[in-house]
Amino acid sequence: MSATAVGAPPPVRGVTARFDDLLGRAVSMRALALLRVLAGPVVLLHLRPFLTDAWDGRIYRDAFYDPYVAWYPEVGGGLYIGLLWLAAAAAVAMSLGFLTRLATATTLAIVAYNLFLSTTHFHNNRAYLLIVLGVLAVAPCGRELSLDAWVRRRRGRPPLDPSAPAWPLWLLRFECAAIYAASGLSKLVDPDWFGGTVTWQRVVRARDELGALPDWAVSVLTDRGFHTGAAKFIVLTELFIAVGLWWRGTRYAAVWVAVAFHVAIEFSASVQVFSYLAVAVLVVWAVPSTRDRVLRLDPTTARQRRLGAVVRGLDWLARFRVEPAPAGSRPEVVDRDGTTIGGAPAVAFALSRLAPTAWFALPALLLPAVRRARRGGSDRSE
Amino acid sequence: VRSRVRVLGRRVVVVTVVLLQLGLVARGYWSDHKEFAFQMFPESSTWRADVVRVTGDGRRVPIERPWSGYRWDELVRSRGLRYPSIRHHADAGLDNQLAFLDAALDWVADNTPRDTETRYLEARVTSWHNADPPRVGVLRSRVREGAG
Repeated sequence: MSATAVGAPPPVRGVTARFDDLLGRAVSMRALALLRVLAGPVVLLHLRPFLTDAWDGRIYRDAFYDPYVAWYPEVGGGLYIGLLWLAAAAAVAMSLGFLTRLATATTLAIVAYNLFLSTTHFHNNRAYLLIVLGVLAVAPCGRELSLDAWVRRRRGRPPLDPSAPAWPLWLLRFECAAIYAASGLSKLVDPDWFGGTVTWQRVVRARDELGALPDWAVSVLTDRGFHTGAAKFIVLTELFIAVGLWWRGTRYAAVWVAVAFHVAIEFSASVQVFSYLAVAVLVVWAVPSTRDRVLRLDPTTARQRRLGAVVRGLDWLARFRVEPAPAGSRPEVVDRDGTTIGGAPAVAFALSRLAPTAWFALPALLLPAVRRARRGGSDRSE
Repeated sequence: VRSRVRVLGRRVVVVTVVLLQLGLVARGYWSDHKEFAFQMFPESSTWRADVVRVTGDGRRVPIERPWSGYRWDELVRSRGLRYPSIRHHADAGLDNQLAFLDAALDWVADNTPRDTETRYLEARVTSWHNADPPRVGVLRSRVREGAG
């Protein structure tokens, strides 16, 4: 029982104690460390238009801008441009994991300052970026995948514990799901959106941009009836992602759908850094424990050695321990629950658990041979 | 070390952020700018506006004509406001778009000191909310004291 639960009525004490335990439970920060690495380039992309303007001698207040409040401090032009470049440098340091806490806090502070300078600076993707930077700034996510950790090793000092209280991770999961839910809900309750009027009008008005598509596709996309169904599909997709991410049984499907959804948005709309950021944030849905699966490979086989190299190189979330298997063995994966899979299904399973290959490999898990192998492995493990 | 303060602090931070986020999502249903409400691609609405400078002697001069060394498309470059006479998509919704236009009129009125003849700026806005019939409205900047 947590200290704070003492003194509360018994049922409340139980709930608050469980809540406190959930927030304070030590979990791996690997996903947030990876997100930190990925967030640096996203910040640079975000800053690019501001830096380009500054390079050309223009800043926000040379043209229309709209402060949120009159008392918000506005620094001189030179200092403002200096801050933008400092943010860019801090984003690079954050990504590399150099003075990670300081770099992340600096990036957050300047990005936030710039965002709140004017209502015209506000976009949903920038709000999401701010949330992500806020979580990264409070989480100890520089203890791995970082120059800080490398320097520590070089100096012969023991590595810092890569696990930490889980609350920043849960908070980012909440924000991630809330964004899909808020977007989906706002469309669900709007009859024009849910009925297809909004998407149909957008496509019809952008008809000139559909020139590269074949006539039949243009005909389908500009058909009013098509949008009656398509709009519902879009809304339900967003809501499925928001809900599906929370349960293990649907999480992989939700992540797969989310990636496809963002790729589609990136190609069909102008959303600044939203797609890159949203796809990167999906890593926080990985189970926050590391090296709890085993991949056994025969080191005498060139093909399996190559597979080992691929897994070691792409296992950014530290899912696997790669161990040698006796000569002549097939590749074998032992999952967290002890399920053992061998051969091609093991390879498909391993690739489905690596961040860069997961989207491509996950559908393979639906193949009957892989399903049979996983079921068989599960039976043997009992 | 799991101090009472730390446990309480975590609880307060998490509950505050969750409630704040939910509040901001709810606020998105009535506010113009919808910060942190994450309403993506909310409308197919479009708008256009005839923006004029109304001078002290009552002339109505379109802002497409440069004045006193100023050009509208240099003064107002963001949020789809650069060429208001061309029909545009209101990409974050009509309320949001018209709030920006309203603020832009005020900003231009306040930030064109070489202009001694304009009393105020006025935008006659035609807006189409999704598939609804067009609506016409008028937005005005603050009156510039001492001008004209």
